[in-house]
Amino acid sequence: MWMVDDESERLTRDSRVLIRDEALNNYVRSVLCRAVGDERCGGVRIYILRVPVFNASMSPNGTMRIYSGLLLRMRNEAELASILGHEFAHFELRHSLEDFRRRRSSSDLLAWTAVLGSIAATYGSGPVQSYGDFRISVYGALARFNRDQEREADIRGFGYMAVAKYRPSAAADVWRSEMNETDATLTGRALRSKRYDGTPFFASHPTNLERADYLSALANRVPGGEYEGRSAYRAALNPWIDQFLEDQIKLNDFAGTEYLINRLGSEEWTAPLLMARAELYRLRANPRDLPNAVEFYREALSLDANLPFAYRGMGLSLMRMDHKSEAISSLSRYLELKPDAPDAEMIRSLVAPQ
Amino acid sequence: MFNPIMKSLLFISAVSVLFSPMSLSANDLIKSGEAVAVAKSTLLITPPRDWNKLSLRPGKKAETWTLDGERLNDISFYSDIAPGEPLLRERSKKSDPLPKLRSNSLLTDIPELLEGTYRTYFGIAVFSLGTSKPTKFLNQPAIQFTYEYVTSDELTMRGEAIAVLQSGKLFMITFDAPKLHFFDRNLEDYRAIVASAKIV
Repeated sequence: MWMVDDESERLTRDSRVLIRDEALNNYVRSVLCRAVGDERCGGVRIYILRVPVFNASMSPNGTMRIYSGLLLRMRNEAELASILGHEFAHFELRHSLEDFRRRRSSSDLLAWTAVLGSIAATYGSGPVQSYGDFRISVYGALARFNRDQEREADIRGFGYMAVAKYRPSAAADVWRSEMNETDATLTGRALRSKRYDGTPFFASHPTNLERADYLSALANRVPGGEYEGRSAYRAALNPWIDQFLEDQIKLNDFAGTEYLINRLGSEEWTAPLLMARAELYRLRANPRDLPNAVEFYREALSLDANLPFAYRGMGLSLMRMDHKSEAISSLSRYLELKPDAPDAEMIRSLVAPQ
Repeated sequence: MFNPIMKSLLFISAVSVLFSPMSLSANDLIKSGEAVAVAKSTLLITPPRDWNKLSLRPGKKAETWTLDGERLNDISFYSDIAPGEPLLRERSKKSDPLPKLRSNSLLTDIPELLEGTYRTYFGIAVFSLGTSKPTKFLNQPAIQFTYEYVTSDELTMRGEAIAVLQSGKLFMITFDAPKLHFFDRNLEDYRAIVASAKIV
């Protein structure tokens, strides 16, 4: 098992989706260290992966993997600390090892499941993979914990937060917004909401509703700090926010993404957020989406006039709405700001058709 | 009759057969110099060299050819895609929808349509569009564009595509190959296919 885990870490370290930005890595590490204490965080190696999924994990050899989708969804340092604390708690409580021991002693059925699972994964490497399978494809099967272990980790993670003087209710906020986002995605696709209060027999995690409830009950009892670290978090994420937003809006999940952007914008609508919202509407391009997109591009430009891609998106939206002259002036502005853009030649052909 | 080891071996082979429909399916030889209609449409191709047609078609109106094997040098044809239709076959229309062509889509929207489709369908986290420029295809104004992405099993791929909208319907030919070696080796083979394309 240690060998497999080390090999999996080696793959992660060499991964092409690994974000090597030193500043961002140092920041995430500093949040973990603040949350769990300097003497504990020393043994952890953090890997930030560019995968637009809300997930993080920690394996027994001290590898912590954090997906960019998670960083995008956090509004402040306290929310991030609650997730890092939770994953660290699994590590400290040695949940993966417990699982491994139980698996070996119980029956070989699970071993077979693993073998068959790996066959399926190998043969599925062609066109039948989606984000759900992402983590098993390359980074090895990550441990799934049982409900009691999850609850233990939640509560211990919560303890870290309180000691580190983070605002304790941040943990409950994270789970509540995760439920809302999933709901938004499902409603947007005309599917029924999953029942968060239900407890299917095989569910490994506590339902998010249960989680949000006991975390907020704890938050009311424990006098924690008030530290949220909103501006520190925003500053640390700033160089990456455009990229992470772009990865998200191109997932073709309109409703979920709209919820996510609104949640981030509920505190302050920044130019990158408005820009992302505009792109989201333009890419869906239902009849009423294009005028909305144009409006959001305008708002983004009123906050920051130096956004070449806002002019591009606005021009393309107007062109599709048959507002040719406005479209041409907007696209011309884009070409002025970015004369060497990779698509400049194509855009030029729209501005001055032969 | 079988000892336990034999039994489990049989079981494994049975399961692996179940999980590998692709290895069972027959691919067809496309002979050089003969005109063929691709993706069950009016798009006619006369390949200057032999190709293999994969019998597993990625979409209702799509077809893939390769020289050395799937994903090593793939040419995909998308033919007669109408507004409201996706490029590839959706795994689930409801829970896993793909981006669709729109009636007001412009040529400049096609690279983003392909990007959104690849990201969603193949679970790609890193995808970047390269250059795009105006060109002619099937005697009409068209777009030629390039892209690069990292597959979920960490292979860096490059692609080039050409697309045209004929009264709102999309005709596109793409070339996808690993950046290492294969893309440069077979790019001209792809361009020769594009040059031979005709609508009948």
